[in-house]
Amino acid sequence: MFTLRSRIAVLALICLFAPAAGAQNAGAGLEVGRKMLLEDNPGELWIDRGKRIFHEKRGPKKASLEQCDFGMGPGNLKGATARLPRYFADTDKVEDLDSRIVTCMVTLQGSDREQVKKSAIGRPLTDGSDIEAIAMYVASHSNGMKMDVRLDHPKEREMYKAGEYLFFRRSGQTDFGCVTCHGQPDKRIRLQDLVNMLDKKQIQAVAGSWPAYRGAHGISRTMQWRLYDCFWQMRLPELAYLSDVSIALSTYLNYQGNGAVVKVPGFKR
Amino acid sequence: MKMKKTAIEWTIGAAAVLAAVGCATFPDAQETRGTAESMVKASFTAPTPNLLKRLDQDRAQQICSKIGKAELTPAEAAEVVKLSRASIEYPKSGKFAGNWKAGAKLAYDGGGDRIQGGRLEKRAHNGGLCQNCHGLEAGEVNVGNVGPALTGYGARGNSEAIAKYTYERIYNAWTYFPCSNMPRLGATGHLTPEQITHLVAYLIDPQSSLNRK
Repeated sequence: MFTLRSRIAVLALICLFAPAAGAQNAGAGLEVGRKMLLEDNPGELWIDRGKRIFHEKRGPKKASLEQCDFGMGPGNLKGATARLPRYFADTDKVEDLDSRIVTCMVTLQGSDREQVKKSAIGRPLTDGSDIEAIAMYVASHSNGMKMDVRLDHPKEREMYKAGEYLFFRRSGQTDFGCVTCHGQPDKRIRLQDLVNMLDKKQIQAVAGSWPAYRGAHGISRTMQWRLYDCFWQMRLPELAYLSDVSIALSTYLNYQGNGAVVKVPGFKR
Repeated sequence: MKMKKTAIEWTIGAAAVLAAVGCATFPDAQETRGTAESMVKASFTAPTPNLLKRLDQDRAQQICSKIGKAELTPAEAAEVVKLSRASIEYPKSGKFAGNWKAGAKLAYDGGGDRIQGGRLEKRAHNGGLCQNCHGLEAGEVNVGNVGPALTGYGARGNSEAIAKYTYERIYNAWTYFPCSNMPRLGATGHLTPEQITHLVAYLIDPQSSLNRK
């Protein structure tokens, strides 16, 4: 079990061996640390838990999620999340991984949509929500495959263009848009490297890394949470779970990251 | 005769290719703007309706939201500069440099005014957020680089002119660099004029820890 103590030990080791020269060299030490932490990723536990929940008969209809269609046909999980977000005819919407799990919980299991959405994001240092675990399990079936989001349907194209527009949209008292922090090379906030989403290689390095284990919170997270957290930090109102803005941004970013190799669970600070 | 036929064949061929890749069916800029702005109206919650207004863009933000590699025109840049200069509110005390120790605390404070779980993180004063993006004191490792390092800023002196310029840069950075990544901390109300004077002192006071070798 990857304990907090062993993680601190790893970080202490990095501090000892990283060059003392300061800010310029911090990057190299951080990279070593990240690689080490990826090798023993607590996020793996979410795959196990997700598998159990996925196959359990639950909800008023006492059904499992085994017949859920993630885009490759009911029950076919292999390669499914590598194609998300995508248009689904049964809901007539573009849906991401979280949305699709919720759709299936409602239609297959009879769960209440608002109740499910309310408990979608787990509390730090807990086992997390059912959705977070199911998402990790389903996404793991795309490991090793390349992101391949397509823009064939008019609604997919609408989401992509809207997402692009929103990525560059600046608002609020910080005047931040996604682009402010994610539009230039070699930038950091304190010691946290910022992914340059306008660089193909950089975005490919992260596009396949969600859902991911968030070390500081001791819990696994989906992209829905990540987008929410960005808007929080920007001093903007709360991004609603499964909102159009969240789907639009995910569609844009995942398409930009096409070609990325899926590798979940990812590991974030 | 033969050339005409070829031209027609090329046109039909090109049209077929375009139809196949669906070039004609991506929404244009205006349609996208309408769709996205509607999405913004429907995708957020806040404790009060007033806080939802944070999502509304002012004129300068609209100009500064260029998509992709699109650049500011000279006219747009001039408009942002003009709006920014007009926004500047000077401190009631008339002094641009306040207390550098208060400024130091502010510079390292990244909190205040965020919204979570239906509640606003309301404090007496918001943090300056400076350390997130700027290197501050010499020898620190935990420094961001989204903005230039400010270590030793005081080397340029602490005259009235420098104090005023520094105050304006923090109050509304877009006065000098339209659409800069730097938040217009005073103009948007994130910081008060008095808070900004403390940041100015932190930057230019020769005694400030920022200027210590």
